Amino acid sequence: MKKSVTNTTRARDESPPFGGSWTKAYAVVLLNLAASVVLFYLFTRAFG
Amino acid sequence: MRPLDWAVLLAALAGIVLYGVWKGRRTRDLDDFLVADRRMRWHTVALSIMATQASAITFLSTPGQAFTDGMRFVQVYLGLPVAMVILCATAVPVYHRLKVYTAYEYLEGRFDLKTRTLAALLFLALRGLSTGVSIYAPSIILSVIMGWDIRLVILIIGASVMLYASMGGARAVDNTNFLQFLIIIGGMIVAFLTVVKLLPPDVSFLEATHVAGKLGRLNAIDFSFDVKNQYNFWSGLIGGCFLALAYFGADQSQVQRYLTGESIAQSRLGLLFNGLVKVPMQFFILFIGATVFAFYQFTQPPIFFNPVAAERARASAHGPQFRALETDYAAAFGAKQLAARGYINALRSNDAGATARASDELNAAQKRANAVRDSAVEIIKEFDAKPSDPNYKPSDANYVFLNFVTHYLPAGIVGLVLAAVFFASMSSTASEWSALAATTVVDVLRRLVKRDAGERFYFVSSKLATVFWGAFAITFAQYAGQLGSLVEAVNRLGSLFYGTLLGIFLLAFYFKRVTGTAAFAGAAFGETAVVACFMFTKIAFLWYNVVGALVVVAAALLVNPLTKERGKG
Repeated sequence: MKKSVTNTTRARDESPPFGGSWTKAYAVVLLNLAASVVLFYLFTRAFG
Repeated sequence: MRPLDWAVLLAALAGIVLYGVWKGRRTRDLDDFLVADRRMRWHTVALSIMATQASAITFLSTPGQAFTDGMRFVQVYLGLPVAMVILCATAVPVYHRLKVYTAYEYLEGRFDLKTRTLAALLFLALRGLSTGVSIYAPSIILSVIMGWDIRLVILIIGASVMLYASMGGARAVDNTNFLQFLIIIGGMIVAFLTVVKLLPPDVSFLEATHVAGKLGRLNAIDFSFDVKNQYNFWSGLIGGCFLALAYFGADQSQVQRYLTGESIAQSRLGLLFNGLVKVPMQFFILFIGATVFAFYQFTQPPIFFNPVAAERARASAHGPQFRALETDYAAAFGAKQLAARGYINALRSNDAGATARASDELNAAQKRANAVRDSAVEIIKEFDAKPSDPNYKPSDANYVFLNFVTHYLPAGIVGLVLAAVFFASMSSTASEWSALAATTVVDVLRRLVKRDAGERFYFVSSKLATVFWGAFAITFAQYAGQLGSLVEAVNRLGSLFYGTLLGIFLLAFYFKRVTGTAAFAGAAFGETAVVACFMFTKIAFLWYNVVGALVVVAAALLVNPLTKERGKG
């Protein structure tokens, strides 16, 4: 029983609650950064 | 301050202290006090992390920074999301699986006691000093607005934080941080909506934004590379990434926040949420400052936003000259307002030639107004703290947002925004004191001074250490006013030590063969290099982190073959 709980905890640690893998979660964060930079650039061009 | 504002402010302050004490009432042992029994969910971890980083300085100086210098400051945060990903992939699983109380505990297992002690002492020196600055920022506001003695204000804020942080430890700190951050963001959104509503009815929000942009306040991105300029894309992405790696990976005030997560996944989600939200949030706060700037193109601003400094100048022997400059400034403002409206009319006409001419007129009017203001600042300089420094120029950037809030926001909202500023200070201060206490007890007292003294002893010592660091911060805050711009003061202080601290952790995580002696020697070289950069070069302070970390790693790799130990990695 204890082993099963440990495995469940480890499984919960190893996968994010959405997206399937941590690699995808990291990609979302980095793509969001890239999109922000593009938007800031367009913003600077539009109003600068 | 109207009665409703007082009621909102006092209720918010009393409420958060009571909430903190209530949330921490079941704190019974060391594990609970230092890492909240490792039971926090990701949303509490996330907002506590953000509240810790976003001090009152963020919410006072950042809009002022946009007002005076534009939005380029946002680039400082561009490396943060990258750092969040790196830390989630490397540091978080290690810290969690080892169940450490502090980041520095890990260093002893990986290297040796002297490296752990060096890193812990660096943290205590760095954070111990900067916590005084964190508590000083909102104290200026209150002393200026309410006319209170600044020493009393510092004492009131410090005592409030000390009450719940020393009683409830990390559990009280994380829960109050969570609630405080929600109120802070709410206050900033209300402030933004109010400034948009206060724009003249015949000027649209978009047109006002164009005026701010034409006067150089919407310069969010600059791709030019210059190591002497800290506000460009490359400094922000590279230097900012190193700074964020050091702050979130090696600074106990942040590490302690995600150590309270109930699992690796919860801690990771907390950090990744920060990576997603931090840059847009900073952009939004800067944009508030740029919008306040646009507002003051149609409403007469004071010649100097610090009312106490301006009043001192009026009352001085230069009073008549200062008043004459205020009259000139009003005339220059009138001309600038006409030029701004002319620019808007030109935009509406869709005539490129007319728009270019109107733009030139607007910039010329801005220069005339600035020239008058500069003359007034010269008078103020004579009464300021550093009159002997020929390059020193008094700055009112920290007072811009506050001045706007108190003069133009409706009753109740002023109290809410002021409460948000208080909360911003309290949240970062509470995290710092809690982390300083953890490092003092775990890395110094329990490891170096009195080993195996029993759980109860260390639990009580942690509470006493929180009180000690609170008292130290309150004392230090008395002198923080002499450090110049608050934003840069805190970041500069960090950058002198963070590079070295980060270098040690980079060696620990990624260079498994490097020994403790080599890491220690590398740290000595790294800190020497950073101090040399600070004293003899003009490179921007964000690059100190890069220099420090890389010199530590390079020197350790060179020294490593000379040591006789074997790496523990």
